Amino acid sequence: MKPVRLALTAVMLLGLAACADEGWNGKSIEGLMPELEFELTAETGETVTESEFAGRPVAMYFGFTHCPDICPTTLARLVAAVRRLPEPMQEELQLAFVSVDPQRDGPQQLADYTDAFSERMLGLTGTQRQLKALTRRYRTTYGYDEERADGSYNVSHSSAIFVFDAAGEPQLMLLDSLGVAEIAADLEKLLARRAENADSA
Amino acid sequence: MKILSGIVLVIVLLAGALWWVADMQPAEPIEIDNPRVRLVPGGAPMAGYFTLANHTDSPVRLVSASSEAFGHVMIHRTVVSADGSARMAHQDEGVLVGAGETVEFKPKGLHLMLMRARRELEVGEAVEIVLGFEGLEPAEHTVVFTVVPVTSS
Repeated sequence: MKPVRLALTAVMLLGLAACADEGWNGKSIEGLMPELEFELTAETGETVTESEFAGRPVAMYFGFTHCPDICPTTLARLVAAVRRLPEPMQEELQLAFVSVDPQRDGPQQLADYTDAFSERMLGLTGTQRQLKALTRRYRTTYGYDEERADGSYNVSHSSAIFVFDAAGEPQLMLLDSLGVAEIAADLEKLLARRAENADSA
Repeated sequence: MKILSGIVLVIVLLAGALWWVADMQPAEPIEIDNPRVRLVPGGAPMAGYFTLANHTDSPVRLVSASSEAFGHVMIHRTVVSADGSARMAHQDEGVLVGAGETVEFKPKGLHLMLMRARRELEVGEAVEIVLGFEGLEPAEHTVVFTVVPVTSS
């Protein structure tokens, strides 16, 4: 076998192995990270915990509202993907936007922001301690750049969407490279699996 | 008579062809396509996107952007590192567009960060943004951006 062909075969096999990751477009995190647990302030001003989402699958994104590019792009893709799902599935899935910028993202700011994307999206934020606890739990980080002269600043954050099942068990990380169709396929598969489990129970 | 009208016809056709060929040359040294501002509610900064083509035979550099509709405009690029962490990088040296090249300002890449909107914007509205260039005469180009929904790409 020529080296080129050998290399191509190797690449194809690797590709197959990657696809064999239970057929997800995203990255499976099942069993790799702990179940959902948090205490945060919702866009309603109320303190909420993971029990707010009890019994519902959750798609969670960490960002901030003063993020003009990647946050709206990712949230818009997520919402477009959800719209492609069968109606009952759409209603089942809870969308959560966790702002890691509590200084600028108060309840009203969060409510205005999430409403622009979907009525099923809940905005959340918290103290630095609460936010650090949650982001560390999912092995992600956030941070603040130096303030500009006008007091504005950039925030670095995770670009992935974390998906949990109805029991709060982490299932998937939807990386920012995924398109609407790929996200929709993963969500549909995850939610269909839940329907199957419900049927057999 | 017939010969004369034939000659006139040929001349007219030739002139037309020449005019057409001349018209194929880009009239403008740079071309900006699909300029749009993605509306974000709540007073948060918005992103401006467009395609910038340099039709000249030398490089041009986009160095500034400003708008009466916004308190401040910056040229940014979103950078996602290998660990999945996203951040915005200010383009200190502007954005270079080589001779004959095209650069796309698009979601999750280069964008104008439009801060502190001076008035409430609405989808479908037109917003003027002045782009400043180096290597181009005149240096400033006023571009009319269309406000698009936050859910558009």
